[in-house]
Amino acid sequence: MIILAIETSCDETSAAVLKSTRGHLELLANVVSSQIDIHKQYGGVVPEVAARMHVKNILPVVMEALATAKVKPEQIDLIAPTAGPGLSTSLIIGLETAKTLSLAWKKPLLAVNHMYSHIAANFLKGQVKFPAACLVVSGGHTEIVHLKNYWQSKKLGQTVDDAAGEAFDKVAKLLGLGYPGGPIVSKMALNGDTEKYNFPRPMMSANNFDFSFSGLKTAVLYQSKKENLKWEPTVCDFCASFEQAVIDVLTNKTIKAAKKFKVKTVMMAGGVAANRKLRETLEDKAKEAGFEFMVPEFKLCTDNAAMVAIAAYYLSQKKKVKLDNYKKAVADPNWELV
Amino acid sequence: MKFLSTSEKQTLNFAKKFAGKLKGGEVLCLVGDLGAGKTAFTKGLAAGLGVKNTVTSPTFVLMKNYKVSGKGIKHLAHIDAYRLEGGAQLLGIGAEDYFGDAECVTVIEWADRVKDIWPKDAIKIEFKIGKGDKREINIR
Ligand SMILES: Nc1ncnc2c1ncn2[C@@H]1O[C@H](COP(=O)(O)OP(=O)(O)OP(=O)(O)O)[C@@H](O)[C@H]1O
Ligand SMILES: [Mg+2]
Repeated sequence: MIILAIETSCDETSAAVLKSTRGHLELLANVVSSQIDIHKQYGGVVPEVAARMHVKNILPVVMEALATAKVKPEQIDLIAPTAGPGLSTSLIIGLETAKTLSLAWKKPLLAVNHMYSHIAANFLKGQVKFPAACLVVSGGHTEIVHLKNYWQSKKLGQTVDDAAGEAFDKVAKLLGLGYPGGPIVSKMALNGDTEKYNFPRPMMSANNFDFSFSGLKTAVLYQSKKENLKWEPTVCDFCASFEQAVIDVLTNKTIKAAKKFKVKTVMMAGGVAANRKLRETLEDKAKEAGFEFMVPEFKLCTDNAAMVAIAAYYLSQKKKVKLDNYKKAVADPNWELV
Repeated sequence: MKFLSTSEKQTLNFAKKFAGKLKGGEVLCLVGDLGAGKTAFTKGLAAGLGVKNTVTSPTFVLMKNYKVSGKGIKHLAHIDAYRLEGGAQLLGIGAEDYFGDAECVTVIEWADRVKDIWPKDAIKIEFKIGKGDKREINIR
């Protein structure tokens, strides 16, 4: 089976081609056209600009993916676009393109959830030992998801206010750093002292699997008023201490959930999973506690269509895909995993 | 109306009470710096309206819609203009649908970034950060 996947939920335009041979998955192409440089000048993703760039990029990206994979439209068995969650104005471009191709090429369509796709990026690594607990962290999401198998997931907990990625961006803003905040804060953290400031670890010992990062943002805000932020070493200490607080909470709670639900595997997914220190810390803690550990390679953590293709492959094993699916598919900006 | 809050809890309770005065159709324009308490206020407001779901920061998704279980008001639209440059972009993502909907209360964080599309009868709620946990909330 050959799957063409399309992802435009936020600011990356991406298309991928995945081939499955008796359950063995082979990624033939994964083209990502990033808009980061364009949005940098605005200090964040501007929906209207993102949408216009998607419109401009989508067909060239799809064609490049097919060319790289050496796959002709008639060889495709399934077209899989992201349908949500994400920015409505971005989502519709990938989704409507996929629907149009589905109609024109007479291929079935399967709309995929973006968060499930992030998790599915792990499945490319081979057989997963279920049950598993997955920490999903991105700009807009922070949640722990329990996976009974490839298809059945259940959310164990989530942030009650700001997402982890959002906290990175806002702290970067408070410290006068640029966009995107995550990579900049992590880079400066390398030269800072993780124990210089004792920032709070919100909800770390609470008896649930929820997170809260707004209090951490506020703690950084209060402390920043007392310090000279023009002095770079101080900013580095801020970044290091803040990042450590985020990592402590995320990893401790994930391991706690893994133990409580007696899983075999601990996984992580989402854009913030590209944070090297977070990956290493969770891996150490997971292995120490006797769990298998999985994390997608770096380029499959940030938004990309390869993960959508992998997700579509597993979903298509369970769900009937019909030729006229394109008629029903609609974008859902708030499509949450249950 | 001016309210001096000294804790997040006070802000939540104040917003909860304020929710009781709403009839539906209002657009609340929240203005104030990072960490001033705009989302905290909206959490209280949602609780006061009878929203069951957890209200989270809409900064990344830009807009969230919550079901309200109650009499006249049927939903709460929670919008965040932090990433936007002007009102046209907000209309571009479909915010217009909520303005003037008599069954909907609309809350906009970072509303000063989309001032050009405030409805005439918008209610401005300003948050100022004082010493420590002090917050000054001004409604007009
Ligand atoms: N009196 C107070 N009222 C409200 N929040 C308070 C108060 N004192 C302290 N806080 C803290 O301030 C923070 C307010 O964060 P919140 O996310 O609500 O702000 P915001 O204005 O929505 O910020 P953003 O611009 O990031 O959206 C919380 O961490 C809260 O606990
Ligand atoms: Mg907020």
